[in-house]
Amino acid sequence: MKKFINLFFKEIRELINIQLIVSLVFTIVLFYIIGQMAKSEMKKTLRPQKIAVLDLDESRFSKELNQGLRLANFELLLVSEKDKEKAIEWAKLKDINLLLVIPQGFGESMTSFELKEIETYSILRSFSLIGSRSSVVLGNVISALNEYISDNFLKSKMPDLDPKRVKKPIKSRDFVIVRERMAEGTAASIAGFVSSQSVFVPIILMMIIVYSSQMVISAIAMEKQNKTLETLLTVPINRASIVTAKMLSAGLVGLLSAVIYMFGFRYYMSGFMGDVSERVEASGLAAVIQKLGLSMTAESYFFLGLSLFIAILCALALATILGVLAEDYRSAQSLIMPLIFLVLIPYFLSFFSDIRTLSLPVKLLVWAIPFSHPFLTTQNLLLGNYKAVIGGIIYMIFFFIFLIIVAARIFSTDKVLTMKLKFRRKRIVL
Amino acid sequence: MNALLEVDGLRKYYGSLEALKGISFQVNHGEVFALIGPNAAGKTTTLRIVATLLSPSAGKVTLLGYDLRKEPEKFRERISYLPEEAGAYRNLKGLDYLKFMARFYAHSDKEAEEIVERARSIADLGPRLNEKAGTYSKGMIRKLLLARALMTKPDLAILDEPTSGLDVINALEVREIIKKFAREGISILLSSHNMLEIEFLSDRVALIDKGVILDSGTPQGLKEKYRANNLEEVFRSALR
Repeated sequence: MKKFINLFFKEIRELINIQLIVSLVFTIVLFYIIGQMAKSEMKKTLRPQKIAVLDLDESRFSKELNQGLRLANFELLLVSEKDKEKAIEWAKLKDINLLLVIPQGFGESMTSFELKEIETYSILRSFSLIGSRSSVVLGNVISALNEYISDNFLKSKMPDLDPKRVKKPIKSRDFVIVRERMAEGTAASIAGFVSSQSVFVPIILMMIIVYSSQMVISAIAMEKQNKTLETLLTVPINRASIVTAKMLSAGLVGLLSAVIYMFGFRYYMSGFMGDVSERVEASGLAAVIQKLGLSMTAESYFFLGLSLFIAILCALALATILGVLAEDYRSAQSLIMPLIFLVLIPYFLSFFSDIRTLSLPVKLLVWAIPFSHPFLTTQNLLLGNYKAVIGGIIYMIFFFIFLIIVAARIFSTDKVLTMKLKFRRKRIVL
Repeated sequence: MNALLEVDGLRKYYGSLEALKGISFQVNHGEVFALIGPNAAGKTTTLRIVATLLSPSAGKVTLLGYDLRKEPEKFRERISYLPEEAGAYRNLKGLDYLKFMARFYAHSDKEAEEIVERARSIADLGPRLNEKAGTYSKGMIRKLLLARALMTKPDLAILDEPTSGLDVINALEVREIIKKFAREGISILLSSHNMLEIEFLSDRVALIDKGVILDSGTPQGLKEKYRANNLEEVFRSALR
């Protein structure tokens, strides 16, 4: 055990070098800056948006429209010019992105129910989504006013009827059923919430697998490149301990790197998305989620953690075998590719398709990839499909045992020194 | 019988290529035994097998009665190996590298300290031992690795081309260190292209070519047998 600890700490010291620390610090700082910038941009959109209004009508209706805009958090700047072109120039000069032109006779047309157009001008200064947000809000305000005006009209014509009943005679109530539980809500909002909550799982898993595997492959390749492997293999320590020390140290450093990376990533995302939990609480979705039993329990977290952990072990064992094939550090970078593909396939499938609806051969192929199982674990846990979760874990354990036997066998034979894949560039002879 | 290492009918195949064709030799206690031969003669393969890095295709190798195939762990506790193109961990300080290696052999912290202290005096790198190995010259790396190989006072030190790539001064220093430890009773199995070096260091030599031992004996005995002035001439005559 003493020898193993000695080797383990050497591996940790080798892996946590100045390059790794600098790259992690750089990543955190970069995410922090981008997150801060996004946050400040989002705050800007919450501030009252400036809108220039050229009111050529000045009727009761045009004033109501202006009032509606104020209520929708717009700061109105009434244009004194009486010409549309000049109003556009004025808005440009004042750095205002939106101009609303209410034509003469707008109010009259409202009372006589003739169609009269109002005009909106969006002055695009960038193509960012945030930049076009105010025009979306303006569109919503106008449709709200349309509702208001048509409701008033219906009320005046049919005072005994509720205008809403006339406009929408069919009312629907949506219910969602999950297993034996039922709650009022739409499938889209539930699915949206669940996917937003579990979106981090595949990203975290992918990050950890890629980081750790890269470290194991590089650690073995560096031993070969620096000609230290032969010496290490002749010291009195069990070969399985060498494999385990390399895997564990890389797994630990990979996990640490991924946690730091994800911490930065979460900060970056919160800059764009804000506090999701507050919004969910406000929309009443939290109660629906609770009623449907779609929240993770301590037991669910245990299974999710176990699934992630075994998937990482599988990746490390596979990376160890791939590392033996590397001739040097450079070829190690190419050898990580097969592993990344094995992670990317289930990663994208879990995002864009329902694996249950795939054809049987594709389904078998996906299930054969050990990394598919943790990607599906959250969904299966929420849907109470524990058989699939446990089955996936058992499959991964067998897969890991098989890989570790292969890795230990390679390390205890000549193959650790003789197995290699060569990546040579073709030479051009002039 | 004073044999420390016994190699009997050793064969090694790399695919269809027979690198060793049933070689046999012994290394006695406190003896420096050298394998000399041209490139691809089978010297490094033999050394790597004795160092437990490669497994023999056929034949028997025993050290102090321990069978290499059955008890490789026992072998590793009693040998140390210096490969021809060995390196040290670039991010570790020289001293930390020695400490790291010493911990595999020591049974207590005190013993580890004693081993490292011995290594310090072998390497003779002074304050540079507190710098990272990545900053060392080739000569310094070789001295560090030689110190690592000899610091545990192994029963058998296996040294593959110990002065390979070194300048004259560094090569002389390395030879002196090996000679000193040989005098102290450490058995050494050595390979080299450098016949002068072999003559200076070895008690007995084996001439090896194409996986076959052509002849073996003391340098003086071989020179007399082949009526040669030096080992180079001995080797040329043996090849005929």
